Amino acid sequence: MTGIRLEHLTKRFKNQVAVEDVSADIRNGEFVVILGASGSGKTTILRMIAGLEVQTSGHVYIGDMLVDDYEPRDRNIAMVFQTYALYPHLSVRKNIGFGLKVRHVERSEIDRRVTAVAELLGISETLDRRPSELSGGQRQRVALGRAIVRDPEAFLLDEPLSNLDAKIRSSARIELKRLHSQLGQTFVFVTHDQTEAMTLGDRLAVMNHGRLLQYDTPERVLSHPTNRFVASFVGSPEMDFLEGSVEPTGGSYTFISGPIQIPVRGVGRPGPVTIGLRPWDITVHQAAGAGSVPARVAGVERLGSSDQVFLEVGPPGAPGPGGLPAPPLTLRALVRSYDFEVGNMVSIGFDADRALYFTADGNRIESMSAPTRVG
Amino acid sequence: MKKQHSRRAIRILKRAASHAVLIVACLFALFPIYFMIVASFSTFPLGAISASILVPRPSQVTLTSYHAILLDQNPSFVAMLTNSLIFAGSAALIGLGLAAFTGFALSKFNFPGRRTFVYFILLISLFPSFVMILPFYLMFAKLGLIDTYIGLIIPYSAGAVVFSGILVKNYMDSIPDDIEEAALVDGLGRTEAFFRVLIPLCLPVLGLAAFLAFVGPYTDYAFAHVFIDTSNLWTLALGLYSINSPEGQGVQNYGLVCAFALVMSLPIVAFYMAFQRWIIGGLTMGAVRG
Amino acid sequence: MADLRDQTLSYRLRHEWPAYLYLLPTTIVLLFLNAYPIAYTVYISLTDFGTGGRFSLLTYHYVGITNYISAFTTNASISWGLIFNSLFWAAGSVALFLLVGLGLATVLNQDLRGKTIYRTLILLPWAMPAFITILIWANMWQVDYGIINEMLATVGVAPVAWLEHTDTAWAALFVTNVWLSFPFYTVVFLAQMQSIPKDLYEAASIDGAGMFSKFGRITVPYLMPTIVFVGLMGFLFTFNNFYPIYLITSGGPGVTTQIFITQSYDDAFGASPAFSTAAMYAVLDFLIILVITVVVIWRTNLTRNWLK
Repeated sequence: MTGIRLEHLTKRFKNQVAVEDVSADIRNGEFVVILGASGSGKTTILRMIAGLEVQTSGHVYIGDMLVDDYEPRDRNIAMVFQTYALYPHLSVRKNIGFGLKVRHVERSEIDRRVTAVAELLGISETLDRRPSELSGGQRQRVALGRAIVRDPEAFLLDEPLSNLDAKIRSSARIELKRLHSQLGQTFVFVTHDQTEAMTLGDRLAVMNHGRLLQYDTPERVLSHPTNRFVASFVGSPEMDFLEGSVEPTGGSYTFISGPIQIPVRGVGRPGPVTIGLRPWDITVHQAAGAGSVPARVAGVERLGSSDQVFLEVGPPGAPGPGGLPAPPLTLRALVRSYDFEVGNMVSIGFDADRALYFTADGNRIESMSAPTRVG
Repeated sequence: MKKQHSRRAIRILKRAASHAVLIVACLFALFPIYFMIVASFSTFPLGAISASILVPRPSQVTLTSYHAILLDQNPSFVAMLTNSLIFAGSAALIGLGLAAFTGFALSKFNFPGRRTFVYFILLISLFPSFVMILPFYLMFAKLGLIDTYIGLIIPYSAGAVVFSGILVKNYMDSIPDDIEEAALVDGLGRTEAFFRVLIPLCLPVLGLAAFLAFVGPYTDYAFAHVFIDTSNLWTLALGLYSINSPEGQGVQNYGLVCAFALVMSLPIVAFYMAFQRWIIGGLTMGAVRG
Repeated sequence: MADLRDQTLSYRLRHEWPAYLYLLPTTIVLLFLNAYPIAYTVYISLTDFGTGGRFSLLTYHYVGITNYISAFTTNASISWGLIFNSLFWAAGSVALFLLVGLGLATVLNQDLRGKTIYRTLILLPWAMPAFITILIWANMWQVDYGIINEMLATVGVAPVAWLEHTDTAWAALFVTNVWLSFPFYTVVFLAQMQSIPKDLYEAASIDGAGMFSKFGRITVPYLMPTIVFVGLMGFLFTFNNFYPIYLITSGGPGVTTQIFITQSYDDAFGASPAFSTAAMYAVLDFLIILVITVVVIWRTNLTRNWLK
């Protein structure tokens, strides 16, 4: 059974296309995260599923039912808003029970369910307070409770963690994940935070400029991004990109970018290409000669469990317009804490197997060994 | 050391000056009200008054003026009060109902023509309400509505719609759209969401608008003077004015005027005191948002 | 951002049309009970209704802009007097409101004992309906047995005929008007001052700013939008504030404190009804208000919140 299905969903505003031809299946009970920067159209998709926004074209199915012409109230979905949107004039108890009350559920039944949900979320002692008397974390739970109590077809969550303190955000994440497995219902969660996306989602839908760029599991999105945007948007620290070209070297091919040379596996194809490398796939050696390429440590960021180092590779480039030399190529690498200091002369190596290849317009080249599929 | 001393002296002086300014402001604010109260309880020969009444002696406190205005009036005080309540109450109710719908439509709907409508209301609100008396008078004279309840309720309500509509719209603008949308997802239609979520949230501004829409007609003299001839439709405002300028006598009976004014003010003052927070909050919010 | 999210016209028509239903009753009221009377007023101002001889109350004629022309030729002194008086009354009152309001708010915006009590007492005039208190003030200004003169008498001052000289009549009007309005201005400015972040003042103190330069460099700029807004609102309200003048001076002595609105009322409902003149002064009043409003809004961007 489908949870939610989007078919060629498009939303045009007066001066902008917010969502363009997005199709996706969300399985029943799945936790799907829509990830994108602000303005990418992710919230608009959520609002179209809810019926708060009506699409320009395309279809929305909820639980196998075509709901294009349904009002929000008839779609049997629940939504958690970024601002929580609790009713300020009602107590927590009435906030949670509101959706049942307007659906004429019996009072004793409402009481029973509100109490159960409050227990589940650990907010029983706040039931008779007003939203204004609650902490941010408690408000977020009330908003969740208001959704859960209705036992809806799907939960739509619009950046529900973004208004929480950094401290409780990670525990809220874990709790949300636990809640999802407990309830076993469909969750659609919108965020711009890739940590939330990676930790919460069964699958990620990565959006940019209204288009769905990739829809896959977090592991696949990280290891097999469909294009350069996804590759750079997902993964922290951000991916390193090397502009260069593939040249034939004897029987095989080699990627060459300035002083950097990386052997290309399989049968390659000559031409300009961009290589993407995760910072943790770059190895840094203390001794100047141990790696293949000499570099200088230009900056160190202590992240706690590891350090991010900024490496300047090769000599400064030709002088730019101001007479100053263009900055040298700088790469990010993830290394063990306190191994390096600024100014160290090091050498670096690359895990050629894990390198990703991109065409000039940003699409990933699936396999260098199949030249017909390039481009 | 010396510098610290002088600084402290300056601070004490500043504080003393502040208190002095505020005490003067309070005396200024209170004086007319105080005068009304003492004058209403005093006896003095018609037209004769002196500053000595400002320091009342318990033995001289009298209820003569209250007795006179409450019992010896024609039309009776109760009759005038009833008329005033009918006029002001209907105007406030009608005006408020229309204003609530207007505010909702203008604030929460993005329909074509919204801006034009807002401009239209603002333009109309610039036309002074007192000069509307003339066209209404001429129109209603033709329609035979002069000297009727409906003939005054209509212009009063029409006036209330304009400013209350703007007031309610501005307040609703400050309620996040999320809250209405949460109600839609929770199972309400837009109209239901309006009645069950937005209206309760707008109670402060609706209270304020009702108050203003009531006080206007309740204390209106200019319209009533023109629209009402027969004494059985007389309002309190007309009664107060006639006591203040009794025909054929050059001087006022301050005791009567003040007693009448105080009793007439009581419902307003009571309402104001009860909802002070909403009224002050609503009006200052409107000004601060600007 | 907001612009990018604008829905298309057809979308708005399809999904937002219920708004027209909600607005229907109000539209009817606005058209028939506001727009029509206003248009009717304009029409009467173009006739000789009540001013064209003995029977002009029964039958009257369209005379074009004759009334307007004579207002600035034969009756020029009256008309210019009304323009001057209306502007003087509104601008003078607003200047006093702002001065007293800002001053008292500044004084109240300190750590003072009894602050709440002062605030409550200052707000009291607000609880009383204006019509009633203006009537009381009118009595207080009387030359004989007016309480103000009686109080002056106790310190040996001879009775002042407040309302019989133009200067003192204006003074009486302004004092009364300040009494009516200063609570509002004080509370509004106080609320705004309390929302000014404290660290702005602390930073200024570190930079060596004194009390007055803090007021001029921080408080006033921060309050400026509010000052402009309540100033304009106060101006519009006072320009057409009928009761203080009608009840206290009735435009006198002579017509030296007469403003448009009181003149119009007197013309229409006084001893000899001159409806066309009354309507003409109403229209002139509206035009002046309109020009001032448009200019202020245009120069200050005030509509942003109204038309969001």
